[in-house]
Amino acid sequence: MTRAKIELGDVTPHNIKQLKKLNTVVFPVSYNDKFYKDVLEAGELAKLAYYNDIVVGAVCCRIDTSDNSRRLYIMTLGCLYPYRRLGIGTLMVEHVLKYVEQDGNFDSIFLHVQVNNEGAIDFYKKFGFEIVETKEHYYKRIEPADAHVLQKTIRQPQYTTLYNGTVPHAKTNGHD
Amino acid sequence: MPHSNSLPPKENALFKRILRCYEHKQYKNGLKFAKQILSNPKFAEHGETLAMKGLTLNCLGRKDEAYEYVRRGLRNDLKSPVCWHVYGLLQRSDKKYDEAIKCYRNALKWEKENIQILRDLSLLQIQMRDLEGYKDTRYQLFILRPTQRASWIGFAMSYHLLGDYEIANSILDAYRTNQMKGPYDYEHSELLLYQNMVLAESGQYERALQHLHKFQSQILDKLSIKETSGEYYLKLKRFKDAEAVYEDLLKRNPENVMYYQKLVEAKQLSDPDEKVAFYDVYKKEYPRAIAPRRLQLTEACLPAFESLVDEYLRHGLHKGIPPLFMDLRSLYADQSKADTIEKLIEQYMDCLSKSGTFGPKADEIKQPASALLWTYYFAAQHYDYKQDTDRALKYIDAAIDHTPTLIELYIVKGRIYKHAGDPVRAYGWLEEAQAMDTADRYVNSKCARYMLRAGHVQRAEDMCAKFTREGVPATENLNEMQCMWFQTEAAAAYQRLKQWGEALKKAHEVDRHFSEIMEDQFDFHSYCMRKMTLRSYVGLLRLEDVLRAHPFYFRCARVAIQVYLRLYAHPLQDVPQTQEPDTGELEH
Repeated sequence: MTRAKIELGDVTPHNIKQLKKLNTVVFPVSYNDKFYKDVLEAGELAKLAYYNDIVVGAVCCRIDTSDNSRRLYIMTLGCLYPYRRLGIGTLMVEHVLKYVEQDGNFDSIFLHVQVNNEGAIDFYKKFGFEIVETKEHYYKRIEPADAHVLQKTIRQPQYTTLYNGTVPHAKTNGHD
Repeated sequence: MPHSNSLPPKENALFKRILRCYEHKQYKNGLKFAKQILSNPKFAEHGETLAMKGLTLNCLGRKDEAYEYVRRGLRNDLKSPVCWHVYGLLQRSDKKYDEAIKCYRNALKWEKENIQILRDLSLLQIQMRDLEGYKDTRYQLFILRPTQRASWIGFAMSYHLLGDYEIANSILDAYRTNQMKGPYDYEHSELLLYQNMVLAESGQYERALQHLHKFQSQILDKLSIKETSGEYYLKLKRFKDAEAVYEDLLKRNPENVMYYQKLVEAKQLSDPDEKVAFYDVYKKEYPRAIAPRRLQLTEACLPAFESLVDEYLRHGLHKGIPPLFMDLRSLYADQSKADTIEKLIEQYMDCLSKSGTFGPKADEIKQPASALLWTYYFAAQHYDYKQDTDRALKYIDAAIDHTPTLIELYIVKGRIYKHAGDPVRAYGWLEEAQAMDTADRYVNSKCARYMLRAGHVQRAEDMCAKFTREGVPATENLNEMQCMWFQTEAAAAYQRLKQWGEALKKAHEVDRHFSEIMEDQFDFHSYCMRKMTLRSYVGLLRLEDVLRAHPFYFRCARVAIQVYLRLYAHPLQDVPQTQEPDTGELEH
C-alpha cells in the first residue's frame, strides 16, 4: 500500500476560504478579516498542509519586532482532528524552522498555548521550545483563559561558510 | 472571353485590374478602376464592370448597392458567365446557396469549361448535399484537369458518397497505380487508409483486409492498421487472428475498454463465469490496469461479485478516487449488486471509525486517515441514488464534520438537495463549494447551472462572469464562445419564469450556433481535399448530416416549441413589458 502524500501549498485569494474553514474548526477562537488579509501578504509565513491532496492543516506566522528584538510569532498552527499524529504538524514546524534558519536574522520563535493543551506543549517541546512565561486572562472568551508563552531561542547567525572561507570568526553571543 | 460585349484594349486592361484588386482585397482601388470605365458614356452600362463594382461594394459592406449593381450588370449582359458567376458569389456570401447554385449553372451555360466556376459549384453542391450534381461537376473537373490530384480524389469521393463503392475504389486504384509516386508520406498513407475505408464500407472485408496487408508498409498510422484489421477479422469470423490482434493492442494500451470487449468477442465467450475468468488473466497480466477490474464487475454475479467489488472499493477508497461512485453507478441496475455494495460500505464505515481498517479481521491493514472520509462521501452518493435523502444527508454531514475543507463534499450536498427537489438550498451549497476555490472553473460552472435551475439567471451570469472576458457582458461572451450548456439552461430557466421573450432569445441563440457549425463546414470541403484528411472529412460530413440531433438542440427546440404554442394559445396583450427580470434574493 502506498504511503500518504503530505505537502505544503500557498494560501491564495482563491483558496483562502479553505483556510477559514479549517481555522474555524481547529481553533476555539475566531480570527478577524485583518488576520486573513495579512495572511495573503505573508508569503512563506502562511502555508496550507495537504494530505493526499486534501487541505488538512495550516500554519500562519508574522514577524514581531517589539521589545528591541526580531522574533517570529506563530499565530496559528493546526491540523484537522482525524489527521493528527501523521507528521503534518511536524512538517509545518520544520517549514517554519527552515524559514527562520534561511533568514538568519531572528532572535527567537514564540507562540501562545492554552495552559491545558498538553498535547501542544509536548509537541513544541520536541522542537526545543520552552515555557518562558504564563499570561493570565490571555484569552477572552474561552476557558481556561490563561496562556503559556512557548519560545525557542535561535542562535545568532554564524558566518562560517560564506565567501570561500575568508570571512571573520564565528560570532557567539553567549548561548553556545 | 468570347462574347459580344467585350471592351476595347484600354478598358479591358482596366477591367483586369478590377479583378486583380478584388482578389487582393484592394476594394477601394477596384472601385476607382470601375469608375474609370463607367465614366465613359460608351461603357456606362457595361454589364461585367457593373457586376464587379457590385461585388466589390459587397466586400465593403454596402450590400444594398451591391445587389443593385450586380443585378443591373446582369440585366445588361445576360450571356456573360462573369456576371452570373459574380451574382452567384454575391448570393453565396449571403448564404443563399440554392440561388448561388442556379447562378453558377447559368454561368456554365455560357462557358462550360471554366475551372473556377466548376470548383465553386462543386463546393456548394457538397455543402447542400446535392450528391448527384456534385458527381457531375467532379466529373467535369476530372476531365478538364486529369493531372491534378484533387481532381481524382474529388471524383472518387463523389462516387463514395453516393454509395457506389466499386467505382470509387477503381478511381482510387487507377490514381494510385498511375499517378502516385513516392515518397510514402502522410498524405499517401491517409489516401490508402481512405481507400481501405471505401472497401470496408462496401462490405468486402476480405478485400479490405488484403488491401490493408498489401500496403501495410506504406501506411504510417500503425494503430489504425491494427484496429481495423482486428475489426475485419471479427467480421470475417477469423477469430484466432482477431484474438492475436487484440492481444497485441492491449499491450499498447491495457486501459482500452473496447479492446477487452473485442477480445471477448474473438474468444467467443458468452458464459459469465468464462468472462470473469478471462478478466482474471488480464488482471494478472496488467496488475496496474483498472479496465479489466472494472469490466469484470459488470460480468461477475454473486457470490463471486462480492469479493471482487470489495477489492475494487477498497482500492478506490484507499487512494481517494473522487469519481468512484460514478464509476460504479451502472452496476446498480442489478439490485443484488447494489445491496452488496451497500453492505460493504456500511462495514467499512463501521470498521474505519473503530479501528481505521476496512474489515473486522485482526490482520487488516491500517488505512490512511482520508479513507473514512471517502467512504462517507461514497455512502452519501449511494443513498442519494436510492433516494434516501435522510441517510444521504447524514453521511455527507459526517464527511463534512470529518474534513470540512474538501470541496467535493459541498457539491454532493447540493446535489442531494437538488434530487430532493429543493433547487434553492442546492445552489446555496454549490455557492459554498465555489467560494472555497474560486479558481476552479468546473465548480464555477456547476454553481451557475444550479443557480439557473433555481431561477436566478442574473446571479448565474454574474457567476460565469468570473471566467468570461472582462469588459464584455458575460452573456455576450458566452454566446460568442458558443457556451451551449449555459444557453440551454438559461432558456429553460426563462421559460419557467414565464419570460417568454427571453426564453426564445436564448433558444434562437443556440439554433444559430448550429447553423454556424453547418456554415463552418464550408471551408473544410477544399481544405480536407488539400490536406488529404479524407477519413476525418467523411466523418465530418456524416456528423453534420445529423448535427441537429444533438441534445442541446433538442432541448432548445422543445423550449421554443412550447413557448410558441403557449403564445399562440394565449397571445400577449399589447402592453410593453417594463418589468425587470425577477432575480431578487430568494429565501434560503
